[in-house]
Amino acid sequence: MGNDQRRFGMLALLLALALALAACGQPAPGTGGTTGATPAPSGEPIKIGAIFDLTGATADVGTPYSKGQIAYIEWRNANGGVAGRPLQLISQDYAYEVPRAEELYTQFVTQDGVVVFSGWGTGDTEALKGRISEDQIPFISASYSAELADPARTPFNFLVAPTYSDQMIIAMKWALEDWKAKGNADAPKFAYLFNDSPFGRSPLADGTAFAQASGVETPLEVPSPRGATDLTPQLTQIRDFGANYVFMQNVSTPAALALKNAKSLGLDIQFVCLNWCANELLIKLAGADAEGVVGAIPFDPAAEGAKVALEYAREKSIDYGGADSTFVQGWTAMSILVKGIEKTLADGKELTGENVRNTLQTMGEIDTGGVTQPIVFTETDHAGAKSLRMFRVENGKWVAITDFISAR
Amino acid sequence: MQSGTFHTTYAADMALRPYWPQRLRIALVLVAVLVFPWFADRYWLSLANTIAIAAIGAIGLNILVGYTGQISIGQGGFLAVGAFSAGLMAARLDMPMWITVPIASLFTAVVGAFFGLPSLRLKGLYLAIATLAAQEIITWVLTHGKLLGIGESLSIPRETSNIFGISMTAIGNPDFAFYWVTVGSLILTVLFVSNLFRSRVGRAFVAIRDQDIAAQVIGVDLFRYKLLAFATSSFFAGLAGALTAHYRGIISWERFTIDTSILYLAMIIIGGLGSVSGSIYGAAFITLLPALLSNLARLLSGAVPQINSYLPYMQQGAFGLAIILFLIFEPEGIVKMWRNVKDYFRLWPFSY
Repeated sequence: MGNDQRRFGMLALLLALALALAACGQPAPGTGGTTGATPAPSGEPIKIGAIFDLTGATADVGTPYSKGQIAYIEWRNANGGVAGRPLQLISQDYAYEVPRAEELYTQFVTQDGVVVFSGWGTGDTEALKGRISEDQIPFISASYSAELADPARTPFNFLVAPTYSDQMIIAMKWALEDWKAKGNADAPKFAYLFNDSPFGRSPLADGTAFAQASGVETPLEVPSPRGATDLTPQLTQIRDFGANYVFMQNVSTPAALALKNAKSLGLDIQFVCLNWCANELLIKLAGADAEGVVGAIPFDPAAEGAKVALEYAREKSIDYGGADSTFVQGWTAMSILVKGIEKTLADGKELTGENVRNTLQTMGEIDTGGVTQPIVFTETDHAGAKSLRMFRVENGKWVAITDFISAR
Repeated sequence: MQSGTFHTTYAADMALRPYWPQRLRIALVLVAVLVFPWFADRYWLSLANTIAIAAIGAIGLNILVGYTGQISIGQGGFLAVGAFSAGLMAARLDMPMWITVPIASLFTAVVGAFFGLPSLRLKGLYLAIATLAAQEIITWVLTHGKLLGIGESLSIPRETSNIFGISMTAIGNPDFAFYWVTVGSLILTVLFVSNLFRSRVGRAFVAIRDQDIAAQVIGVDLFRYKLLAFATSSFFAGLAGALTAHYRGIISWERFTIDTSILYLAMIIIGGLGSVSGSIYGAAFITLLPALLSNLARLLSGAVPQINSYLPYMQQGAFGLAIILFLIFEPEGIVKMWRNVKDYFRLWPFSY
């Protein structure tokens, strides 16, 4: 009897699994639609590896970023691929877990033989940096940690936005100007509210050095715990410190929570978002409370070069949750990686990691159609972008309020 | 025909592996372990290394939870102690692996015994919360690593990964070379722990688990043996952590959070509490489940292109489902399933 029940249970389970699988198998909307007269790419596919965060701690921005990357590959293939060869993106969710990232990286590099790799988080990119150099895989991560910018130590990591440290210094420069413009003679007080991870801590040391050199008291460091549902204690700490500017190095969801809590506390503090919370998601989540927030946005979705991406998304009805700038960021980062591949093939060189690396280092300015300043990698510097513009939320939209500022 | 096994000598009764199929299986497994790395590619080798390291940590946790009955959710913290003490010795003092790994394991044993002190007064869930404190304190020390001069992550120089001066990379790629170290350590761990529970100390552990008051009445020094259990368990956590540090070449505290502790608990629950081989099965199951699911999805994605967008959620669902199913259908874990299979043949045809 017991055995029968057990067997029945297992059968029911198998059935449930089969149903789940079948439910997932809705027919895909017609992919591979070649537009106009462009011939479909043929020949050996060019393999690109990628890990995305779709379910982990940074999934809110990880998802639109991944959609941007996938969309770029599809768009590129629909327009003839690269040198007549199709691009094949081998990607998987890693849930922002370092061991999972290592496992997928090893699989994609050693089994699938990907030539280049697109990564995501700071913790995992730093954990992989030794392997990346050994395997000679050009690697563009969505982490702009300054740790990864020096080719002497990480010869295969490339940064397509100003480093987090540079972003912090640029944001501080803006804050100092703003403070002076408001007619204050003394120095403002700064605080950090950051993701409790290597990503969050990445810019703090350089930011503090800059602040101190500018005559600002050592900024207060307040970590924002993962999965927090109330940041009132953290904000109270910042209020008691007397901060005038709070720099947020976090993703959109916790940043929006901080803005809402700050509103209910009635804080009169200027919030400044770095890259990963300065996007449309923040406005969507914080609503009216996001009004007046300033952000360092390295990838401008209003630029000419972003139109292709956004129009393609509309045409294919890709749902990226309205995060235009993050979608464009993923698209642009992938496009730079692919431009390196394209130039390598155009130069008649064999498609190896080392050749793509050398090409990226020597190809000069990479134009992104105004989404960023032209990206330049050199043999001594892999931080391709040096400057960005500050934006402010006005009437529910990010509006540029400065010209391009650089950290140095 | 003999249904069941009956020992006729004391030697047979005391033997660790009394039956010939068991000995045959050990021989087969050993051969497989020796042959595997010559045929596997780097991906499977790295999975094997991950499993071996996880198995060492899981065996360590099983000594404490499965054999001694002291619930601990601080395993991640103890792994971190092992990893960072080995890492700091290698990075700052350029000490080679064969020195750092044993020292780090011993150091972790001391730290573990220290955090085991509350076990004198606390039992069950209360002790679990005390070990949670250990986890959080260790993570705090590491994230506020300025105390120890650690940044966000700690890089371990490849040169320090040598054994008696012989570089690990001399015999092939790092995954291949470390296979021998991790699997070798696992075999030593298995030998030690299997025999531990045939000794006076091991039996004292089991007595404490079964009924601590009775154990005290028959003369088991509870405090001493509980601390010893914490120390032994942490020793293997430290070993696993130190191997992780040298194998990965770079470590950060993110790898050793409370999530890791829970994952290790899941390993021994799924594998089988109070069983050495169960710990290995559990470690393999927890490591391979996500990998196999993603490989399966990749196979299917040719036929079902949309599967990739559902896969992340299915993986999380499957993981939770596996644990619930094990708790419902076989609370004693994979090792009990295996035992059922063996018993079926051993007792055949009179299984009742």
